[in-house]
Amino acid sequence: MNPAVVKALAWMLLAVPGLWMLWSFSQGEVLAMDMLHPSGEMSIRLMILAMLPGPLSDFFGSNRFFRAWLAIRRNLGVAAFGYALLHLAFYILDMRSVAAMLDELGLPGIWTGWLALALMIPPAAISFNLAMRRLGRNWKKVQRLVYLALIIGLVHWVLLDWAWQPALVHLAPLMIAWILRLIGRGRRNRRQRSMA
Amino acid sequence: MIRISQKYLVAVAGIGALMLSQPAYADGDVKCNAGPAKNWKPVSKLKKQAWMEGWELLKVQIEGDCYEVYARTESGQAIEAFFHPVTLKKLVVYRRGTEIYRAPGFGG
Repeated sequence: MNPAVVKALAWMLLAVPGLWMLWSFSQGEVLAMDMLHPSGEMSIRLMILAMLPGPLSDFFGSNRFFRAWLAIRRNLGVAAFGYALLHLAFYILDMRSVAAMLDELGLPGIWTGWLALALMIPPAAISFNLAMRRLGRNWKKVQRLVYLALIIGLVHWVLLDWAWQPALVHLAPLMIAWILRLIGRGRRNRRQRSMA
Repeated sequence: MIRISQKYLVAVAGIGALMLSQPAYADGDVKCNAGPAKNWKPVSKLKKQAWMEGWELLKVQIEGDCYEVYARTESGQAIEAFFHPVTLKKLVVYRRGTEIYRAPGFGG
């Protein structure tokens, strides 16, 4: 399939949950407060989906499936940022006033959310081809902020819900992928040494 | 090579088991020991109770064996409060996951 068509389809699919949330809210079926959890969770899930194909293809080797996944990785990351912004929008709608938002800024469940969002801004802001070319190796370094954003985002979740399981269930696939990557690296190093 | 990857697998399994064995100490797990639901006071009474606190009610729901109220206080704080379904006593109040009130002697 044409890459442009694939991208367009990916964007449409990625937008569906968000549009559904906005629609239900505009129809008065749900409160802004009710949309906080789904929008935040969606952001975390997309972040994880963007972070998985790298280590997995490192370990299992490149194939068509991983190439397609890697090709839309940046879109997944930008979509994760989009859902984080939607999450913020629902938060603002829920709080209604800046004073109320500032008043609770010091609560750990809240400032962790702001921090995670702030950490997503630089990687999202340079997610276009020209920036990638200009920044070269530094581009990857900036993208690594996502690791921190994810961890702090998960802490934000745990602090609000006081339930470990959902956050850990989300972290588990990444932990496995990272460990596989480590195993793969160890294997490659040994092979190189034995060849030398 | 196989030996090393087994070591990692054991580590993964270990971490996984450790994570899953973490106790869920959750505000979603507030226990009211309310007994059978037929003895519970109606939600309308609960709403009145919350109204007397001066709160703007956003949502009322049953969480486990407690009544849970999402509300905004007079000063605009978003809060989550748990009430005993029979006595309608305010048991515990959270603000964005931070406990800000607990009824004296309540340990559930």
